[in-house]
Amino acid sequence: MIKFENVSFNYENGPDILKNINFTLAPGSYHFLSGPSGSGKTSLMSLLYLGHRPTSGRITMLSQDTKHMTREDFFSLRQKIGVVFQNYRLLNHLTAFDNVALPLRIQNKPEREIKSNVSELLDWVGLGDAQNSLPPTLSGGQQQRIAIARAVITRPKLLLADEPTGNLDSEMGYRLMRLFEQLNKMGTTTVIATHNQDIMERYKHSKLLLDNGSIYSNSKKDLLIKTIRDVY
Amino acid sequence: MSSIKRKNFKLGLDLFIKIIDIRFENMRSGYDLPLEKSPDTKFLLILVTLMVFLAVLSLSGSLALHDMSERWSSGLENKVTIEIPIETKDGHLLSQDTVKRETERLQIKLENHPFVKSAEILEDKDMGKLLDPWIGQDLLFSEVPLPGLIALEIKENAPTTLDDFRIDLAEMSSYANLEDHQEWLSELIRFAGILQSLSLIISVIIIGTTITAIIAAVRARMAIHKKEIELLHLIGAPDIYIAKQFRRHMSIIAFKGAILGTFLGLVSVFILMIFSQLIDSPLIPSLEISFISFLMILAFPLFFPAITSVTAYQTVLRSLKDML
Ligand SMILES: Nc1ncnc2c1ncn2[C@@H]1O[C@H](COP(=O)(O)OP(=O)(O)OP(=O)(O)O)[C@@H](O)[C@H]1O
Ligand SMILES: [Mg+2]
Repeated sequence: MIKFENVSFNYENGPDILKNINFTLAPGSYHFLSGPSGSGKTSLMSLLYLGHRPTSGRITMLSQDTKHMTREDFFSLRQKIGVVFQNYRLLNHLTAFDNVALPLRIQNKPEREIKSNVSELLDWVGLGDAQNSLPPTLSGGQQQRIAIARAVITRPKLLLADEPTGNLDSEMGYRLMRLFEQLNKMGTTTVIATHNQDIMERYKHSKLLLDNGSIYSNSKKDLLIKTIRDVY
Repeated sequence: MSSIKRKNFKLGLDLFIKIIDIRFENMRSGYDLPLEKSPDTKFLLILVTLMVFLAVLSLSGSLALHDMSERWSSGLENKVTIEIPIETKDGHLLSQDTVKRETERLQIKLENHPFVKSAEILEDKDMGKLLDPWIGQDLLFSEVPLPGLIALEIKENAPTTLDDFRIDLAEMSSYANLEDHQEWLSELIRFAGILQSLSLIISVIIIGTTITAIIAAVRARMAIHKKEIELLHLIGAPDIYIAKQFRRHMSIIAFKGAILGTFLGLVSVFILMIFSQLIDSPLIPSLEISFISFLMILAFPLFFPAITSVTAYQTVLRSLKDML
């Protein structure tokens, strides 16, 4: 379970990006996160993958209170979280294959397993021929697919995807959405930040809206206007 | 040095590094950080090579001194020299004949003494060899009055002590002086000890310099790759995962440098040894290194990567804690 209680957040001496927000994400749930540009979607994601600490409030991740976590706890928790960063954050000196293999190597998986799993996934996202290419030589859409493959290769407990279909044509976009659906059916809690109305219409999942530092939900039929307090 | 020679040397060096590289080629997969591309890698390699080279020289010198003073003290342990001086204690000059007769008379007495294993008169020509560097062959013997000298070897389980023997000797001859080399020897050994401490200090400086350079290089690489390290952290890499990559990278550089430095150092030591043996003078002791000392020098290529490995690992762990 993931739980935010009275969480506020701002970058160093900047204005509050998130103001006293509360919500809970049930295990295995699926959410779209939307909101105007600059509303704090990426910032909220970074709190979820523990890239930043909240300025105030309490965050519970996968049933662990993050306040009392050690350095080592952070790393083992992050191994259970797959992140598609908005700007991909691929390692430019590593091939597509090695980028996707990275989380598995960090988790000490045997090289033989890595070889077959990574190749299969890269084939699936249409990058079978680009396995040995370096990211800078690939298109934005191809890089995005590498980033997605890297996020899902470990079958994480929590998947955070920040605009994962932004650079993809709709066919490939829907193909990857199916990948997220499948992963979610296997139990992965999923949060996808997107502006894409078509996608949000097509898949009937809960919608979270960030606006002006507050979070709203369409659950409880209270369409996009109510601040969530223990909705689930 | 001609440019062709220099080119050849550089070619040889590059080839050597290539050969070592091939050995690591198979292990290379698995670096997540572009550490090999760091601009100062070659500089670091040269630095470690130089440090190891100096360390081999300093260690060789120290070990040679150690071996030498062992040889000195064990070689002289049971040996004393008896001198019949040309001048008596109250200042009378003795004739060469008197000196010679007294020496021969004493030698016979000494041979039968229970303390003595053997007593041998040093002939003029033996002494000539010893004195040659100071006086020169031409001037010898006729003009310069020489003392009588008897080289004694003491029985290993002698029933009496050296002090008892001194009393006996005074009875046997009123002229004789006993020289047990202790003063002379202990001074030499003390001098060798000073040189050895000096080389120890040099070794400490060398190791300190190496560690400092490794720390600086690791910190520089961490600063350059801050973004990549951050990403590794974000996808769950613990500190030790990152530290291990730096450790491996730095250890390989240190290993290459250590092999190169040891090789160059040993070549220099062997050249010095050959030279020291060519100069046939009793004043310049020949440089010799025992087999065990030689093994110690060969252990160097392992020692430097080892301190590098520990240093790099600890530096990364410490810096990562500061980073986040
Ligand atoms: N590293 C940072 N340091 C300071 N301010 C930041 C930083 N990152 C984002 N911000 C600010 O925080 C606010 C929220 O940014 P954020 O990236 O979370 O928005 P977003 O909803 O993801 O926008 P978009 O839809 O354009 O991706 C913005 O006003 C931005 O200027
Ligand atoms: Mg964003």
